Amino acid sequence: MAREGFALPGALRERIVAHARESAPNEACGLLAGKDGVPGRAIRCTNVDETPMTRYRPDPRDLIRAFREMDDRGEDLVAIYHSHPASPAYPSPTDRAESADERGEPRYPGAVYVLISVRTDEPEIRAFRIKDDIVTELVLG
Amino acid sequence: MSVTVRLPGALRDATGGRTKVEANGGTLADIIADIDRRHPGFRGRILDDDGKLRTYVNVYIGEDDARSQGGTEAVVPEGAEVMVIPAMAGGR
Repeated sequence: MAREGFALPGALRERIVAHARESAPNEACGLLAGKDGVPGRAIRCTNVDETPMTRYRPDPRDLIRAFREMDDRGEDLVAIYHSHPASPAYPSPTDRAESADERGEPRYPGAVYVLISVRTDEPEIRAFRIKDDIVTELVLG
Repeated sequence: MSVTVRLPGALRDATGGRTKVEANGGTLADIIADIDRRHPGFRGRILDDDGKLRTYVNVYIGEDDARSQGGTEAVVPEGAEVMVIPAMAGGR
């Protein structure tokens, strides 16, 4: 079966890579909003986790504002992005655990997880689906 | 009292896919009960068997975290906007 693709326009890539670089050595996090599974804009969130070098938790005020705006514009949450400042762009055990609710169902069904690693000069950016603790990489286009 | 409840994320499937519902009630518990009457099963997605907010469910009344306002007993003013946001987090 052909692998699922994920269209991430160059301008959005540049935006989230810039966010990741600016936030290092802390993790950056944000949302990609759009329609029909295609992201149209990136929404930066402030990482308010107490240990931001190794974890992320978007500021609830950023999420409230972003979700309200997306709802009013008729947009969907297409993806959740975050950076790994010192590790590869691949979902960690924490990322997998935090994607599901207490029943093991996705907390954000349909959302793609975009990871950016800025551990080297050349940023690495990859997209995944996480369901039933199984990580499936998407073909970035 | 009428308030607007927004449901980004997984919880919209508990309201037939609607991301925004109107509800009546003076406290968060009243509002959850009101929505549950129209969308049976909603309560169980928000609250655990002890009637407390589920661990992964964050509820904001305006910008205030309901957990810091008395949990399900939090007062919800007329016209307020309530947002139910599944916890979003991760890390290395």
